[in-house]
Amino acid sequence: MITKEQLEGPQKITWCTGCGNFGILASLKNAVGELGVPQNQFVIVSGIGCGSKIPHYINLNAIHTLHGRAIAVAQGIHLANLDLQVLVHVGDGDTLGEGLGHLMHAARRNVNLSVFIHNNGVMGLTKGQFSPSAPRGYVSSTSPPEAGAPMNPVNVVAYALTAGATFVARGFSGDQKGLVALMRKAMKHKGFALVDILQPCQTWNRQLNWKFYNEHTYSLQENGHDINSRIAAIEKAFSNGDKIPTGVFYEEKAPTLAESLALPPDGRLRDHQTDIKAVQAIIDELIL
Amino acid sequence: MDITFNIGGEAGQGIDTIGDLLTQVFVQSGFYTFTIKDFMSRIRGGYNFSQIRVSDSPIHAPIDDIDLIVALSHDAIVGKRNQLVDGGVIIFDDTIKTEEIDACHYPAPLQKTATEVGGNIRMMNAAALGAVLAVTSFPFNLAETALNEIFLRKGRKVVDANVEVAKALYNLTKENWIGTCAHDMSTVKMGPCKDRLILTGNRAIALGAMAANLKWISSYPMSPSTACFQDIVSNAQRLKIGSLQTEDEIASLATAIGASFAGARSMVTTSGGGFSLMVEGLGLAAMTETPIVIYNAQRPGPSTGLPTRTEQGDLLFMLTASQGEFPRIMLAPKDPIEAFDVATRAFNLADKFQVPVMILGDQYFSDSVKNVPRIDAGKVEIDRGKRASTMASEPYERFKLTEDGVSPIAFPGDQGKFVVASGNVHLENGHITEDPDIRNSMVEKFMRKIPQILKTLNPPQVFGGRGAETTLLTWGSTWGAAYEAVKVLADKGVSINLLHFCDLFPLKTHILTEVFSEAKGVVAVEQNATSQFAKLVLMETGLTVDKRVNKYDGRPMTPRFIMDRLKEGGIS
Repeated sequence: MITKEQLEGPQKITWCTGCGNFGILASLKNAVGELGVPQNQFVIVSGIGCGSKIPHYINLNAIHTLHGRAIAVAQGIHLANLDLQVLVHVGDGDTLGEGLGHLMHAARRNVNLSVFIHNNGVMGLTKGQFSPSAPRGYVSSTSPPEAGAPMNPVNVVAYALTAGATFVARGFSGDQKGLVALMRKAMKHKGFALVDILQPCQTWNRQLNWKFYNEHTYSLQENGHDINSRIAAIEKAFSNGDKIPTGVFYEEKAPTLAESLALPPDGRLRDHQTDIKAVQAIIDELIL
Repeated sequence: MDITFNIGGEAGQGIDTIGDLLTQVFVQSGFYTFTIKDFMSRIRGGYNFSQIRVSDSPIHAPIDDIDLIVALSHDAIVGKRNQLVDGGVIIFDDTIKTEEIDACHYPAPLQKTATEVGGNIRMMNAAALGAVLAVTSFPFNLAETALNEIFLRKGRKVVDANVEVAKALYNLTKENWIGTCAHDMSTVKMGPCKDRLILTGNRAIALGAMAANLKWISSYPMSPSTACFQDIVSNAQRLKIGSLQTEDEIASLATAIGASFAGARSMVTTSGGGFSLMVEGLGLAAMTETPIVIYNAQRPGPSTGLPTRTEQGDLLFMLTASQGEFPRIMLAPKDPIEAFDVATRAFNLADKFQVPVMILGDQYFSDSVKNVPRIDAGKVEIDRGKRASTMASEPYERFKLTEDGVSPIAFPGDQGKFVVASGNVHLENGHITEDPDIRNSMVEKFMRKIPQILKTLNPPQVFGGRGAETTLLTWGSTWGAAYEAVKVLADKGVSINLLHFCDLFPLKTHILTEVFSEAKGVVAVEQNATSQFAKLVLMETGLTVDKRVNKYDGRPMTPRFIMDRLKEGGIS
């Protein structure tokens, strides 16, 4: 058990009043506190955006990286030391745009990470341009006038499922109890876990607001969904119309990336010393 | 003795195998060899060659004159004919249809002998060897001893089969071939060279990295760097090295930064195009002061350029890559033996100063083969730099301001510490800030590292003695051709020396300014069109070179090429 005081963030929060990120931070503190992993074994890896400032608001190891590249950095951290509990906090503008390729490939590698997407449909920090998850027709300062965002949004749950993610869920920042449970499951999962977190941007997104999500979300688990069927999960992922499903879409046990790499038995590359005699043998084998 | 063999043919015909066997036989017989690989960016067909220079004294570059061509295709018969010396011989497979050719050249039954005597067309390497030995009158018993050593690991049967095929063609040639070769090696005895380690630049970098306790490599295949990545991956299980072929170069560097942040010595291998994608990662490594080694085996650009050819065209790009200003280290080994040392130093420098270290190779350096003395891996020293105390009572600060600009490092998971880093400007504790005073402190922290780095880097080397009238200025792989050109000219009485840089940046200027003031004329010799290193020298010292020798056709520099250019400039 890690206490709220121990997790107290080093910096003053800069999010807007009513921001959906507050619910995510509170849920994260709960999930981290109760996970049973020592505090110094957690590492938060974030990208760039409002949500990616979260490492400064919770007291854990952290690296605040680049727009879109957090998952790639995170997989390196994880593979260098399997003891670490690596959490990725990124936004939709970040990871569903520049970072989408890394997300898809990390999913198919089943690398043991928990990826939490702070998904609000806008580029908040750069002041409201449409993001890759903005609905078609969403009007912003960079969408074509009249038409709004001229393309369909990234359906990250569907993408993750088709890419091969072994834990896929959707949470809502307004349902902290549900979100804590999903985060905890994602952290405990051995493999690539993705939680798409619906998170209103009060300042920029007039469409995807608290009211909208409160009225349009429903729980998969309360409606008899089979979490062991990838096909059923994909069907649910595409049933994103008037009603948006939340909860666990899919869960599967599968070999993780680390199991296939040449890591030392203790999983700690960081402390491993190469046997210099073996290197000498490799050199000597090249001698005629 | 100084003899050059050119083995040419289509991709997939086994040119490399013949070249490798010839190299091995000569190395085993006590000679110095230098082999270049010239191949097209295709899997089958085309015209490729492997060119082996053999000498009884040390050699460091390819030369233009070819004494003997082994041709497995028509293109190979004609491709290098203009470089063939008087009395040079072309040995070609007798199945190749060709126009009238001088009787001195030799249509040899290479395929036929391989199949009929060896029972396998793949024995053509031994057949070619037999023909080469016969044409040059190389003592067969010397080659036989060498073949024994080379194939013994594969068993008696393999030795016997190879000797049998080589001998068959050797005898056949002695009976049937009526030409004479400019080189008669019948009196050759075991040579003086004891260097039995056959290395490419790529392999030397890989070995150096492995000896330096490399624990993580993530790369994306890109010629001509790929063989380095492959060498490390092929030893990953044995040495416990984490390795991953990522989806792109962006992910490769980002993943390596992650692994290094978590405490594993990490590197990436790439070429210029891949490095272009890594540039934002370079900035992240710099800002988070995460040690990283980047190996760029350069090839001619821009864009795809010439994928399998050579150039030193990325120097200024790598010098200034990324937005913003930060310390970085750039090293360019001149040959495989120096490459091993450079790779081990690169990791120590990265850890010691917590900066990106970039190794600049190029296709010529990366793929060419030299026999070198045995490397003693046990002599490699590992310096992981300043580690944070495990006893500290105060909260850990990853970016603590220190006198030398380097903060004690800790890794996530260390007891009693939280390690926080950010690509944003940050406080000493790693959390973000926009405070102008902190910004100044952090920039100044970066800048304080530079004099420390300069003290640690190696000075340039001067070859041919100080105080010459003409100084050639080189960096990286151009050393070999320039070194040989200087030797030839100095022997002729020309007052000339060579100022050579391996450690390129930050630029050590002390010896440089002295040599510039001693020389009447300085000539920059670079494998690029714009003399990039000369520009770096100008930028850092205000000193200008007097002449430039540039080569940018993608083919390696030769001593003759340099001497011809110098002659045009009145130096001969």
